[in-house]
Amino acid sequence: MKNFLIGFATPFVFFPLVVVAYFALGMADTPGDVKPPAWETAIMQPAIRAAVKRNAANLSAPSGATEDSVIAGGKLYVMGCMGCHGEPGKPFAEDHANYPPVPQLPHVGTKYSEPEIYWIIKHGVRLTAMSAYGPFYTEDQLWSLAAFIHRIDELTPTELQSIQPEKH
Amino acid sequence: MKTFLKGFAVGTLILFLLALLFLETGWLDIRADVIPSPRISRFLDIATHASVRRHAAELQSPLPESSDSEEVLIAGGKLYLNDCVGCHGEPTKPSKFGATFYPPVPQLAQTPTRYSEAQIVWIARHGVRRSGMGAEGTSYSDPDYWRLAAFIRRLTQLPPHVLEAAKAPPVSSTGSSQVQSDEKK
Repeated sequence: MKNFLIGFATPFVFFPLVVVAYFALGMADTPGDVKPPAWETAIMQPAIRAAVKRNAANLSAPSGATEDSVIAGGKLYVMGCMGCHGEPGKPFAEDHANYPPVPQLPHVGTKYSEPEIYWIIKHGVRLTAMSAYGPFYTEDQLWSLAAFIHRIDELTPTELQSIQPEKH
Repeated sequence: MKTFLKGFAVGTLILFLLALLFLETGWLDIRADVIPSPRISRFLDIATHASVRRHAAELQSPLPESSDSEEVLIAGGKLYLNDCVGCHGEPTKPSKFGATFYPPVPQLAQTPTRYSEAQIVWIARHGVRRSGMGAEGTSYSDPDYWRLAAFIRRLTQLPPHVLEAAKAPPVSSTGSSQVQSDEKK
């Protein structure tokens, strides 16, 4: 029984040490221009999703999103998000520059609810290229962005038209 | 020994199940605007450096001039001022935007880089996994990568007038301005 318990406890020390050594010795790859392996995506994507769900559980959008706020959010998206997350109305181009790749929202849409999107924009996501935008947007702006992104893969042609930046 | 191995197998299984349970029920703190403990931050830093040292090819600069030549530094400075300052900070002012990432973007003018020029070229070209550093790929020619690296390597100890020369004529704002437009907010 004693041997069993020692054996039981060993992995709790052994595997963390292996992980620390693997990273500290530089065995882990750094280049970001490759696709993450399927097992990593299979573990980490649901983990992020679950963390977002848990953290945003008590948030709710201030009021039903109006057409105006969706369009206001769309304008913010075009200014601040499009560079990495993709331009509405343009053909799909997968992101090969970042690891994990940046979701191309106009094409894949999003499974997150509005409060969840709000939370992600505000706080960012660690160990990804998604930074925290809390310091740069007002609460209203964050919610209108969330309202827009929630609908980003089903925009009407009129909506698509009205979010374009005004030409000077 | 046999009971030890049995215990080891059961312990391993439980450890992995606990780790999975922790992850998949959303307990991982993923907020980029909350800095984890200094110990973890330092560990990530060490890991990245170790990986770059192990993997980056020690290539030679293709430039005919030395990396110390003003011409190279000014050309590299122009690229830096155009494309990198949004996240990595201006030579005199750290970037607020860069601080909103986790891991935070290194402010190259405040904290001199410990990487060699070859390593800087490698990082800029391929990016760094699980960070905000995207792969620049074919955005620059090979010589431009080396000019940029020469400048970044010497950013904290530039010869006096290199910076002014790199700033003039006014840098066009048509470059990859996504980040810069955020920075202005």
